[in-house]
Formats: sequence, structure tokens, C-alpha cells
Amino acid sequence: MSGTSRAQLCFLLLSVTALRGHARFLDIQDNEISPEGLLSLLSSELKRELPEEFVYRRALRCLDMVAVEGQFTFTAVRPQLNCAVFFIGEPSDIISIEYDSVTIDCRGGDFVKVFDGWVMKGEKFPSTQDHPLPLYERYSDYCETGVTRPIVRSSQNVAMLFFRLHQSGSSFTVTFRKLINPFPCNVVSQTPEGSFTMIIPQQHRNCSFSIIYPVEIQIGELSLGQHNDLKRSILGCASSGDFVELLGGNGMDTSKMFPMADLCYSFNGPAQMKVGCDNTVVRMVSSGKFVNRVSFQYRLLGHQELQQMKGNSIEDVCLRA
Amino acid sequence: MKPVPLVLLITSVLLTTHIPLSTCRPRDLSLMNSQLDDVLLNRAGDDAMSYLVGEKLLQYLQRNLGAQKAGGVLHLPHFPTAQLRSPHEDNSLEELTEFSKRNDDPPISIDLTFHLLRNMIEMARNENQREQAGLNRKYLDEAGK
Repeated sequence: MSGTSRAQLCFLLLSVTALRGHARFLDIQDNEISPEGLLSLLSSELKRELPEEFVYRRALRCLDMVAVEGQFTFTAVRPQLNCAVFFIGEPSDIISIEYDSVTIDCRGGDFVKVFDGWVMKGEKFPSTQDHPLPLYERYSDYCETGVTRPIVRSSQNVAMLFFRLHQSGSSFTVTFRKLINPFPCNVVSQTPEGSFTMIIPQQHRNCSFSIIYPVEIQIGELSLGQHNDLKRSILGCASSGDFVELLGGNGMDTSKMFPMADLCYSFNGPAQMKVGCDNTVVRMVSSGKFVNRVSFQYRLLGHQELQQMKGNSIEDVCLRA
Repeated sequence: MKPVPLVLLITSVLLTTHIPLSTCRPRDLSLMNSQLDDVLLNRAGDDAMSYLVGEKLLQYLQRNLGAQKAGGVLHLPHFPTAQLRSPHEDNSLEELTEFSKRNDDPPISIDLTFHLLRNMIEMARNENQREQAGLNRKYLDEAGK
């Protein structure tokens, strides 16, 4: 095939694949287009992988927290029986964990399990009320399904890996990636300060935004589908199908936290509240009939402010002001 | 020696040297601490921050173990089903690991304080930002070629 007709064929192939809206690249060396380059245009594998030298790698510790994408290996030099690795991403990410190579003794009691969420002291985030899957489906065991399903995806920006290795020399390697989630529902904030807009687009679900610090929350805008303010009963918002509540507590489970405030009518002005708890949660309950949206900002409460709240408050249950 | 003064002597020696049961614990405590330290944190090649984290964790565990001497619940990483009840075996790490070998798929959990969790998140964020800065530099170098 002559040079120009080959170039024309490549141009044609590029145009055809460009119509699908996917990105492709051809590695052209010495003005020659290789057959591999041509074939890569036709494959549906998107070239989103980083080249080998750019992948971040490090060893995992028995108790670890990972926020950076990359490849992580744990090698047991002695029996490690109770280990956990926490993964966290940005609020609009979901976590993808892929088993690259696992050499453990499943029959000997070793395991590597991925949990969809975080568990601390038996309390889960997201709670069973806020998560689409039942509890046992949120644990994904390598020994049972790891070979057939090597990629596990979380439903929110946090996930955990539990593992136990009896033999020294056992090891496993996982690749941690963050994927985009257009409508983040359950989020653990990485920082004590920030802002967020939570949108539930006509879905019947409950979403929680968890800030594991004592913070002051300022709700800037709340838009709940219904415009009829008369629906709010004297008993509060629980009877309304769509509302936002502020919770405070000292654990991860939102169903065990104390309600600090609830809002079930749309408004535009800022409303602020200080919550002096270890964990502050903004939770939105949605019936599915409307598109609900809440925007809020939060900042860390200083030591002095907390002391002031302790002085003013007569209640024992996490300080609020 | 006459029997009565002998008995009195032995009784007085025993009474003055009587060691209450609780103070027999420290030896096991240090044993458990060193094993836990190894179990929870890999010492080899860690930087200063994880050493500090390890220290905090040990302090937290020592406080909790102190509470357990008074009859509280042991808050070590464990399965919810593994509640230690035998008074003789409370402080033995081997017993803990024996309990946790009961691998009948209970929901697994880990015990951490929020303080420790926050420190870990901050360390992970720093790592992420360092790595992102490095990647950005590499991308710019590549783009500049």
C-alpha cells in the first residue's frame, strides 16, 4: 500500500472513530504507521490508562489510609490478623479497586475483603437506610468472587479493605482508581472546611454528607420540589416526603445520630448552625417526585467557640448553637 | 524456733508483701503493646508521622486497657462476636487472636477514634497532593517536549 493511500485510510478510520466521540491516538514513528497503531483504533479499549512510569506505587501498611490513585502492595512478613485499609476520594468520586495479583491461602483462613463504605466500631457509613445494598452484599470477598470479578466499585467516595494473612510471604496487590460520580449521594468530607451542593434528581433515596469534625454549617440554598409551605406540620418535617436534616453524633452511623435541625421548605437566605459533635451530617431525604437540591458551606469550630458552647449549653448531647 | 513466733513471722511477711491481683498485669500489658504495635503498624521504613500515630494509638489502647482492668470492654480491633469474658485470659493477645480465627463471616469492623481517623486522612491528603504535584510536573515536562 502506498504512503498516501495508507494515510488516507488512517484518516478515514480516525474520522469514523471520532464520530463515536471517543479519543484515540496513534503513535507515529519515522512517518510509518504501524499495524498495531491501526488496530488500536478499532479496539474499544479507551486509552485512559497512565503510562507505566506514571503509576504511583507504594507498600500498604496493616492500618492505612489511601487517597491517591495507584497500585498498592501488602506483603506479610509476619502473620497479620486484623488489618484494614481505608480509601477516600473527593466528594464527586467513586472508588474502584482492582485485584492485580493475590497470593493468599483462602483455605487456611486468609481473606481479603472490600467493604462498600466505612465501618468503625461496628457503625457503618452509609447507614443501612442510606445505602442501596443490604449489608452482606456490601462485603466483597476475594476468596469467593475475586477471580471472576476482579474489579469492585463502591457506591460513594469511601471504601475499605479488610485482610488477614497467616503466612509470612503472602501478599496482594490492588489498583485503586477514582471514577467520576455525577450525582454524589453519600460523602465523607476529607476536610473540615469546604462547600458542597447535593442534588437528588427525582430518586427515592436518602443521602448523607458526613463531616467528621465539629463545624458550623451555613445552608445557602435549599430547593425542595414542593412549593406548598402549608404541608409542614407542627410535629416537624418527618411527615413531609422531602426534607433536609442536620445530624450530630459521635459515631459513623447516621441512623444513630441526634437530629439538630430539619428543614422542609425551600428558602434562599443563609441559615447557619453550629454543631459541636465529632461527626456532623447533612442528610437529605427525597421522595422521588421532585428534584431536590441543597447548597451549604462548613467551617471548623475553633477551640474557643467549643468552650463557649459548652458554657452556654444546658444539654449534654453534642453541643449545638 | 518456737512455732508461734514462726507463724507470726510468716503471717507478717505475707501480709506486708501481699500483691493485689491487678498489679500482676503490667508484664502482659507490655507484651500486648509490642505485639499490637506490630500487628497494627508496620514499623519498617515508616516516617515520623506514622510513628506519632503509632504512639497515639498505643496511648489510646493503654487508656482502654486501664478501663478494662476496671471491668470495661476491650476496644481492640476485633470481630463483634469476639467478646472476651474469661477473667484469666483477658489480657492475652493470643486468646484474642484465637477468638478472631473463628472465621464464620461476621460483618467485620475496626476500632478507631475519630482523632486517629482525622490524622490518617490528613496524611493521605498530603500524600495525594505531593503525588499530584509530581504528576503535574511530569505532564508539563512531557508537554514541553
